[in-house]
Order: sequence, then structure tokens, then C-alpha cells
Amino acid sequence: MIEQKSLETFFGIGNHTSSRLLARFNIHPTCRVGELANKQVLDLTAVLSDMKIENDLRREVLNDIKRLKETGTYRGRRHALGLPVRGQRTRTQVGVSFVPISCLSLRPDLATSLALVHVVLVASGDFVAGRIKTPVKLNRMERRL
Amino acid sequence: MASSWCWSCLSRLRATPTPRAILPPQSITPRITTASFHSSAVQYANPTKKKGSLVAVKYRQGQTLRRKKKKTTERARPPAVGERKALRKRIVLSNPNALEIEGMQDLSSETMVDARLRGSVLGLPVPMLDQLRAVQAFKPKQGWSIFRRPGTVLRRDTLEMARLFEKISGEGDGAEKGKVVKKIITGLKGSGKSVHLLQAMAMGFLKKWVVVTVPDARDLVSGDTSYSPIEGTNPTQYVQPNAVSALLMRTVEANRQVLSSLKVSQKHSALPSLKPSSTLEDLAKLGFQDAAVAWPVFQALWTELTATAAAPGMEKDFKPRPPMLVTVDGIGHWMKESAYRASDYTPVHAHDLVFVKHFLSLLLNGQASLKNGGMVLYATSTSNNPSIYTLDVALDQLAARQTGVSPSSPEYPAPEAYSGADARVLELFKPTTGKEPQFELQTLGGLTRDEARGYLEYFARSGLLREEVNESWVGEKWSLSGGGIIGELEKLGRHVRTTAQPAPVLN
Repeated sequence: MIEQKSLETFFGIGNHTSSRLLARFNIHPTCRVGELANKQVLDLTAVLSDMKIENDLRREVLNDIKRLKETGTYRGRRHALGLPVRGQRTRTQVGVSFVPISCLSLRPDLATSLALVHVVLVASGDFVAGRIKTPVKLNRMERRL
Repeated sequence: MASSWCWSCLSRLRATPTPRAILPPQSITPRITTASFHSSAVQYANPTKKKGSLVAVKYRQGQTLRRKKKKTTERARPPAVGERKALRKRIVLSNPNALEIEGMQDLSSETMVDARLRGSVLGLPVPMLDQLRAVQAFKPKQGWSIFRRPGTVLRRDTLEMARLFEKISGEGDGAEKGKVVKKIITGLKGSGKSVHLLQAMAMGFLKKWVVVTVPDARDLVSGDTSYSPIEGTNPTQYVQPNAVSALLMRTVEANRQVLSSLKVSQKHSALPSLKPSSTLEDLAKLGFQDAAVAWPVFQALWTELTATAAAPGMEKDFKPRPPMLVTVDGIGHWMKESAYRASDYTPVHAHDLVFVKHFLSLLLNGQASLKNGGMVLYATSTSNNPSIYTLDVALDQLAARQTGVSPSSPEYPAPEAYSGADARVLELFKPTTGKEPQFELQTLGGLTRDEARGYLEYFARSGLLREEVNESWVGEKWSLSGGGIIGELEKLGRHVRTTAQPAPVLN
């Protein structure tokens, strides 16, 4: 396998980082993993072990989203609802950016929790760390869930 | 009985058993449906029901997002790794269907300088083909595969080059042994630059020179071979061990006979494993057995080949070194930044690659120049060519100097302001101040009419061209090919015309 490609299999390393890593250790762009010298392999491992990649990075991203949700920000709410976060239009053409309700029906666990959060947030904004304070009557759309 | 054939379109009507006179009225007659050529069937057809007109629109139903799943189509197994490339790079040198040409002469020391043969196609000697293949003289799309055996035209430029080969080898009249001729070969697309290099290599092999080639300059800068920095150089220079090793392998394979007859005559402190009695072939072999020492081996080989005398204490087996031929095809790639990156991610200029630099320094009168004489032929390419403004300007300058324009005169071409001209390229091409003349620019043009005629006759005699090759026909083709551009002539020559067959008559 080509070295650059195999670096990019790590979550958190894309073209930008991988090409710089290769340049740093004088590895040509089409080098294959088998052609690497021992020293180059050791150097790469040393650098990779210092970088925040894979699960560490995933955890960080999830923590960031969690923080947004906990502080009750708009972005957090949008994340919780599975709606577009960055101001996209939702009237039409939402296929890419949010999880449609019909898809949620396939996953009852997620659907219920999201619906509940939705209810709570829409009704009052009374929201303490994910626990529902005031029960609200579900509207038709939500009953469907 | 009436024929069941429709006379207008020759399609068969429905065969009715009853004669026409007793046909029922037209309203009862079954509509002709079998005659597919008639448009009336379509016109009489019942109007099709509009699909979905009765389906009620479901207003009250929630709209859900339906996405089509991509269908995974079964594909045939792709060819094995490397197979496609092998097919692409395959070089076929013989076509058993082409006719053998009687009386075709081979390229030899005598024929290559024979002006009477100008315009005729000389075959490349069969034993030499392996050597030419080894130095990758043939390119895949040069059309060698349409003839019985490979041959090249003896054109004016070839004859001139052959005379130079003779002179430098110390033969013939006006011998200038030890002279170095340096040329940059340019020309239009299809003007025969690469084949000119091939002819030079063939002559080099004939004269028992050492032939060193870089068949494609791009290979050294495209970032496809390994590179490593040389410690303590400023600006940092890079060595490409695998590319050097490949070059050593090519050189040994092609020049085995010459290299195995020469013994090591210098001391090489970088190569402790080298025995003093070994031949240059053994020396070069060290390099391609272990790429790590390829660069020191190449340097050692170069000092051996350019040595004019043996080191003290090693004179016993010293033989004078033969002249060398160095060719590079597609020099434009060496005039820009390479695909390699320095450790701070800045691009590495091609001139910082020490291997490239070595070959470019042969153009200048530096340390590495050919002391035993020889030829340095670097060709530009037009089929695989980066567009480099500075090189264009530099070549214009070189051409201007050759026609006698002084560098201080206003007609002398200069790079435009703010064009970002590459100073290193301009530096390479700047006029020399020393006694030694600078390298020349040789522009290959078209063949003359006589040469074109000889070339097209070669097609005719190979059985590829079924035309009478006469003065007027050749004149036409010569003009069509842009004044005898040989690549265009080849296209015209190989275009086989067949007469149209008469169409079969239907009854």
C-alpha cells in the first residue's frame, strides 16, 4: 500500500498532514510501506504517537458536541435534534445535512430520546443536564415517533 | 398472385391467403402490424393511457426522504498489478506481416557517413537492438511495430552527427580526438528528436563508446523514486539512490563489452570493498546490487571513465578510456521545481537533485565534464513537456547568440518583468566567458523532399503504402506534413487506403 494512503487511514490525518509528514522524513509521495527503511518507520511511529488521532480525536469531537449540548447553545440543540447546525436551509434540500424523522423511526431508542429533548426544548427551554423537568403534551408529529 | 413484398421498402407484408379482390372492407381488415418499417402502425395505434393519471395525490401523507441506493454492478476482474503498465510500455520492434526490404543496408561505421545514402532508411543492426533496448532508446509510440525490422532515415542532421562521431573517435580526416560536443536539440512535435538521440546511441555503440542515457528526464523529478538529503550541503542537495542504481544497470547492460575490458585505475576511498583488479563492470555492479552505495559507485565510475591517466601505482592495466555519449530526453522537466519536498515542505528545485545537477553540469565546463571527449545531447520533448517560460526564453537567447546577436543589444530576448523567471535556469544558459565554446542549440526541422521520398519509398517497399511514389505525390505529402516533419510523414505513410467494395445487390 502506498505510504501516504496508509497514513490517511488514521482518523485525523488527511492529505495536508500526511504529505507534510512524508516530506519531513524525506519519503517520496509514491513510496510503498514495504519500501520504508527501519529508521523511517520508527520516526513515523514516534510522531504518530504524539499526535491526537483516532479514538483520542473522536472522543474530543464528541466531548465538544456534548459540551455544546450541556451549555444549551443553539448549536448543541441542533446537534441533539439531528438538524443542520451551521445555518443551512431546512425547508428544502435537507437530505445531506440532517437525519430525517423517518430514518429515526428505524432506531426507536434514538428517536424517543431526540423527541423528548425536542419537546422539552421547544416547550420551555427548561433543561437541566438532559433531564426533563416539565412534561409537555406531545403534538401530532411527535406522537408519530 | 400479388407479391407479399412491399415494393417501397422491401419489408414483407402479412401473407394473406385471399386475393386482393375479395378482401373485406377496410374497416374490418386487420391492421398491418408486422411491417415494422411503416410508420402507419404507430399512427393507427390506440392512444396509450396516461400513466398515473388516476392515482390520487396523497396530500395528507408525510413525505419521507427516499434515496436510491447505488446499484453495485459486477465488474470483470481488473488486470493483474503491472499488467496495464507493461502493455502501455511494450515495445514491439518487428512486424512479420510487413515485407522484408531487399538490399536495405545496415547502419555501420561506413554507411553512417556515406552521403550517397542520404535519404535512405538504414536498418539498425540486429545484435545492437538489445543494447538499444537496454538504454531505452525506443519509445512505445514511435511506430517501430509496423515494419519488418527497425530502421531510421539517414538525414542531413544524422550525417553531420555521424561525421562528428568519426572525428571524436579519431578517425577520418580532420580528427579531433578528445573533443566534446554539447548540444541541446529542439524541434517541432514529430520532428524526430528522440530518434535523433537513438541514432546517436546506435553510433555510439558502433564506435565502442560508453553510452549513458536518461531516457525520460521526468522520471528523476516526478517524485517516484526515493530520495534522501546529503548532510552538510547548503542549499540541501538530494541523492536518488534507486534512480542511480537503475541508470547503472542500464549502462552496464548496454556497455558490457566496453566496461568489462577496462580495469579500475583510481583509488576510491568511499568503496572499501572494491578490489584493485576489478573491471568497471564489477564496479558498476556494486551499485545496482545495493542501492545504498549507488551514488558513490556512480561517482567512482564517472571518475574512472573520465580519467586520462591512472593513479600512481595502478598504471599496470590502464587502457585509455573511450569517449562517452550522454543523452537526456525531455530536458524541460529539469528546469522547474520537482515533485519532491524538503523537510519543511518547500518544493525541491530539480537543480538541487544531485543526479540531475551532475548531468546539467556536463553542459558547463565543470569538474564532471568529459575529459576523453564525447558528446552531450540533451533533447527537449514536445509530447511530454511542462510549459516553462524561463526555458523558452533561455533557448531563445541561445538561438539569438548563435545567430550573432550580442547579449547587450536590444534585440536580445530577455524575460519579461514580473514574469517570475527562474534565475537558476537563466544561470545555466548564460553565455560563457571562458575560451571553451558553450553548448549549441540544434533545431531539427523537416526532411528535404529527396529524404521524404526515400522515407515514403520505405513504406511502399514494406508493403504498407499502396501508391505510386512519384515526384508529385511526394511533393503533396511533403507539403501536407508541414514541410517534411517526419512524424507527420509517418502518419501519411502508414495510412493504408483500401478501395470501397461494391455493396451486395438485393433481389
